Amino acid sequence: MLIAVLRRVSLSVLTLFLLTVFVFVATEILPGDALDVSLSADEMAMMPPERLAERKRELGLDRPALERYAGFLAGAVRLDFGRTLVSRAPVSDIVMYPLRNSLLLAAAVLAVAVPLAIAIGTAAAWWQGRSPDAAISTAAIVGYSVPEFVIGTVLVMVFAVWWPLFPATITANTRDPAWTLLAGGVLPVATVLIGSVAYLARILRVGMIEALAGDAVERLRLTGIPEWRVVFLHALPAAVIPSLTAMALYAAALVSGIVVVELVFAYPGLGQELVRAVTRREVHLIQAIALLSAAMVVMLNLAADLAILILDPRTRAA
Amino acid sequence: MEPTRRSLIARLSGGVASLAMLDRLLPMEAGAQTPPKRGGTLVYAQCSGNRRGGDATNTRHPYFMVDLITRSAYNTLTWVDEGLAVVNELATSVKAADAKLDVWEVSIREGVRFHDGSEMTARDVAASFELHRRRNFASQQIDRTEVVDGRTVRFFLKGGNAEFPYVLAEYDNVVMPAAEPDRIGLAGIGTGPFRIVSADPQRRMVFERNERYWREGLPYLDRLEVVNREGQMESAINGFRARQFDAVLNIDPRLTRQLQAEPDTELVPASSGDQAVILLPKHPGSPFTDQRIRQALALAIDREALVRIVYGGPRGGWVGNDSHLAGTDPMFVPRPVKRDLARARALLAEAGHPNGITLPTLYYAPQWPEMGRYFQVIQESVREAGITLPIEERPNDGYLAFRTGDRDVSKGKYHRFAYTAVGPRNPGISLFRMRGENNESGYWSGPGQDRYMALYAQAMVTADPAQRKAIYAQMQAIVHEEVPALLPAGRNNVLVKRPSVRGLNNHPQHWSIRWDEVWKA
Repeated sequence: MLIAVLRRVSLSVLTLFLLTVFVFVATEILPGDALDVSLSADEMAMMPPERLAERKRELGLDRPALERYAGFLAGAVRLDFGRTLVSRAPVSDIVMYPLRNSLLLAAAVLAVAVPLAIAIGTAAAWWQGRSPDAAISTAAIVGYSVPEFVIGTVLVMVFAVWWPLFPATITANTRDPAWTLLAGGVLPVATVLIGSVAYLARILRVGMIEALAGDAVERLRLTGIPEWRVVFLHALPAAVIPSLTAMALYAAALVSGIVVVELVFAYPGLGQELVRAVTRREVHLIQAIALLSAAMVVMLNLAADLAILILDPRTRAA
Repeated sequence: MEPTRRSLIARLSGGVASLAMLDRLLPMEAGAQTPPKRGGTLVYAQCSGNRRGGDATNTRHPYFMVDLITRSAYNTLTWVDEGLAVVNELATSVKAADAKLDVWEVSIREGVRFHDGSEMTARDVAASFELHRRRNFASQQIDRTEVVDGRTVRFFLKGGNAEFPYVLAEYDNVVMPAAEPDRIGLAGIGTGPFRIVSADPQRRMVFERNERYWREGLPYLDRLEVVNREGQMESAINGFRARQFDAVLNIDPRLTRQLQAEPDTELVPASSGDQAVILLPKHPGSPFTDQRIRQALALAIDREALVRIVYGGPRGGWVGNDSHLAGTDPMFVPRPVKRDLARARALLAEAGHPNGITLPTLYYAPQWPEMGRYFQVIQESVREAGITLPIEERPNDGYLAFRTGDRDVSKGKYHRFAYTAVGPRNPGISLFRMRGENNESGYWSGPGQDRYMALYAQAMVTADPAQRKAIYAQMQAIVHEEVPALLPAGRNNVLVKRPSVRGLNNHPQHWSIRWDEVWKA
């Protein structure tokens, strides 16, 4: 068990290290360094070479790439991503609250989506091939296929404009308490929820169908155990465990990937900050968000792996 | 006969609009027949760009607040009303103390208190203007100030200015508790109708009623919330439709037809509004050092199409004349030459571009919801004259620093080929913006600029409005000829509100709306 845990933790650390290399190369080494993106093409063309060299020196771009990477890595370990190009504000200060807000939104979505998806996926598997399964599967495909900006806009029209139950746009400040953000966040959560439930329910359905058709479940049925115990106490855990990794990856994608929803509802999360950083050519901010998002995927994946190790003894030997 | 000092001041007092200041700010009913009601919270969203939020280190400082809401927390010595006439605000009188109009004496109101309870004195005014004369574009003409007594401040200008009272109304020129220029204003304390409760530069500011406000009985509202929705007008309109917002300011003028049909909705247009200044950099190597290329651009832009397509016609916008004057200004002189593609092509050929020219990228920020459309129309219309104009949108945050560039001395005064929005002011301020030291003129220099500024100096000490109008016309003629910058069209500001919101008069200077007179029925 310990060896399996250490193996997975080491793999995650190595992945994180490779991620720092990738982010650094993508933002600083490939054509278009921090100077290129902070200057316009015309300005680059107009600027005399000595002035360009001076600007490179100011930004530390004249140092060897390896030395710059070492600085970047040392900063990233301490969550110090430098300062923004325009306002010279610490990047960590800018990113911290949007990250919290995105985590909050993702947590709220998952808190509802996971139990709901389990219930729906189980029901679909139980009635496999019959009309409830067909209805659930069709709804899941539709829910997963419709873009979130469409769902969000429809929800705003129905539940904020025609039937004013919830706010259409989030007015809370970036640093407001979590409950303030959540109180106004019903529609953003609902928007992400529809796609999330549809996606997770489809995964759960497949897992449940496999589990229900397995030999172990068949043997349990022959022993005369009530069917509800077979489904909920035996088949369901067997279906959920392999789905954990997919759920963890989905959760990580939620944190960094709900840009559209954040824009539709003006939610002060990481997605909005990323859009702002890209349009402002704030390289250090982009690096921080990219790295934090990637780290989130790695950490959640690790958490799912560890959970599977604990829940499923068969995997410990792997 | 040479005018005496006394006669000149008397003529100015009687004739020059800048001195004919009605004391509108005495307590009054807020423009409605039913008596105003006290209390309540008003939440409004604003769609115009906050040019400074991204640079803010302290959002409470008047220079770093959303421009629009500065006046919620602060006051200036004077204010311009919806007709752009100057009115006393914290001042009780503004008088020229010198025949050359370069010394002005300002008396301030008694009993005005800051949000922290301290009394406003002449020392606070002088200290505030120590910052403004360094930082505010219009206040750089102030050479120094002198505290005469506790209620009187004297302003010494670098040159005469008959319209100086308008300068005191500029939104940055607020009065703050005295402190050194590098510290003043950081606490966010003013004399305005509302106190700042919380501030998030990108998103929202919350204000509460200032119980010590000097205008007796005002403000009516207990709380004011301003939600920043720059670049997100759809979100602002959704919030309005969902009744989260009582009003939305500075909407796209083309949206008015759609909103007019909606129930429980009122549109309030202003008589005028901002216009776009396209800055034409004239540093070495820039194509705009060649006057013929500037003229060709001015002739190629389809200004009528801009008004029609971008603003939905003359009710939503107006054709500019390449000066900073608004189309409604009585001093405004239309460009004598209309769009002329043949002439534009001929000028390009004369300048060595017989097959057309590709200009550098023009950068703009969505300071107004319609700006993307605005520059697309320009891009398409100049293409017909053989001018290829690449355009690129940049974010509002940090745009000011972006477009003014890093002023590399090796290139002279550098700034980008970009745009900025300017609001309507009196001619004294508006025409001053085309001075050579200002990037809005593209650091225009040469005999044309010298003549322009000589005429400006003459106008500023000319008491007779008719004579001044003639001088202003000559200045505009120079601009029409030399085209130091392009100002092709402007907008009429429009706000949308619930009918229950009363006393909310729209203003061509959107930052000058008086929130202290607004109430909810």
